[in-house]
Amino acid sequence: MSSTSQKHKDFVAEPMGEKPVNALAGIGEVLGKRLEDKGFDKAYVVLGQFLVLKKDEELFRDWLKDTCSANIKQQGDCFGCLKEWCDAFL
Amino acid sequence: MSLFMEDPAHFSKSRLKLDLVAHNVVLPPTKSRKEIYVDLYLKHIAQKNAGDFSSDDEDQEQDLADKEEEEDAEILVQSCLTDDDLKAALLKHGVKAGPIVASTRALYENKLRRLEQSEGQGHVNGVEKGVLYSDSEEEEEQGEQEDGESGSEGAKEETAEQSNQAQQGSSQNGDFVYPQCFLLSSRMRAHATRKGEPIPKRNSRNVIKSSQQSRHHCSQIPVGMTKASSVDQRSGLGSGFPPGTHSAVSNGGSSISSQRSFSITEMVERRKSLSSSPNTERELNGRNVQEHWSRSNRPDTPIVDTMKNQSPYYTPKESPYKRKIKPSQEPVKDTIEEMFLNMEASPTGICATRRRPIKGAAGRPVQYIYPDTPTSPTTLERREVERRLVPIHIQILVFFILACLLYIIYVCVEGNSFSPFVALLDSLDQGSESEEGLMLQAETQDTPVISGQE
Repeated sequence: MSSTSQKHKDFVAEPMGEKPVNALAGIGEVLGKRLEDKGFDKAYVVLGQFLVLKKDEELFRDWLKDTCSANIKQQGDCFGCLKEWCDAFL
Repeated sequence: MSLFMEDPAHFSKSRLKLDLVAHNVVLPPTKSRKEIYVDLYLKHIAQKNAGDFSSDDEDQEQDLADKEEEEDAEILVQSCLTDDDLKAALLKHGVKAGPIVASTRALYENKLRRLEQSEGQGHVNGVEKGVLYSDSEEEEEQGEQEDGESGSEGAKEETAEQSNQAQQGSSQNGDFVYPQCFLLSSRMRAHATRKGEPIPKRNSRNVIKSSQQSRHHCSQIPVGMTKASSVDQRSGLGSGFPPGTHSAVSNGGSSISSQRSFSITEMVERRKSLSSSPNTERELNGRNVQEHWSRSNRPDTPIVDTMKNQSPYYTPKESPYKRKIKPSQEPVKDTIEEMFLNMEASPTGICATRRRPIKGAAGRPVQYIYPDTPTSPTTLERREVERRLVPIHIQILVFFILACLLYIIYVCVEGNSFSPFVALLDSLDQGSESEEGLMLQAETQDTPVISGQE
């Protein structure tokens, strides 16, 4: 990734609080809907999954692909923003 | 041929488990009943064995079929692994799994499957072949009795060599397979490929076989021993190795324990032998076989048949194997110690103590600590001198006292009347003068005189 998106910056800039899942970078309307359907309605739920996978990129990407069939870029964006958020706030 | 005709239902549960692990079958959940193990055994191992011992044409096809079957089964079995088992399986592949919960389980299963597939082809084959061909030597034993089998044996060896590349390719493989007997066979295969001439090796093995045959009847072990040691000397191997191998060859407490000590020595030997000339390499190969033979033919194994039955099972295992071994480890030590005594008396003067560090390096705690290195004469001398010297703090103290004294004297000599000390000193001097009077030396007398004048 050459540069981070605005969404990424916004997400990483502050504690995620009760932000919805589509506040995550790489997760748009469609993926957000799919994730909500699976019960991942808040960003912190996704964070929980991210953490329970021990921040492992490969596993998280797989999970994202399985859960909402995200493409590679979306996976990367989402992973990157969660990772950076964790580095900043965890 | 009657090897595998035993009814698996008669095996103990742990035995079944070991066999399943040996054949790389994923174990069912730990609490499952014996019937499940028996079923798995029948499904994977009994069929395979049937395939192995059928004619050699069918051999490879059967292998392929088995492989596919097993993979399918593995995927099925994976889903009925417990969380702990899944975690252990992942750990075997070097993946440290996080918490396996409902939401992560599928991912980890996927990962395990992928790992098994990626390294898998080679890996699964490798282990299987390792199991099959580590007992190819045992088969030779049979072949000795019934020479008709030698053809199929050759064919198997070829397949083994084919699979060799795949084996060497995957490093994980090594982790799995390293222990014990399989190492032996893999080593031989490695030699074969490296030399690029498998046939001479086989020939030499045959020669050895025949010689062994004759030896088998008379007392074979001393011969094997002397041969082995002579090879060692010729190839210039370190002095550490022979005792281990000797003890293993000569005093076979139990075959398993001797195999264990083999694996260590041979690992090192292999390294050495790789660097030495191909000639010695071949010799080592031959010797290898000899050792293996004398091991399996050892007279004190009560029933040779059961040995044959068991050793293919027990050899290629990691942790379960160790569990099995522990009770029989004691005799090894004894025998080694006995050998040490023998070795001290030996004319070659080979010292056995070198081998200890290898054990320590293998992850076990070092039980043996070297005695302090003998001090050289120069150090002894230095110590002697140091003992006579006055300790440094006393030296410093004396120096300071002297310095103070000199300073005081200087002050007294140069001292002016403004100094508060002067009066004190004067009084002191007077006191001392009055006390000692004429007894004072000329030098000390000078000082008060001068100070008095000033």
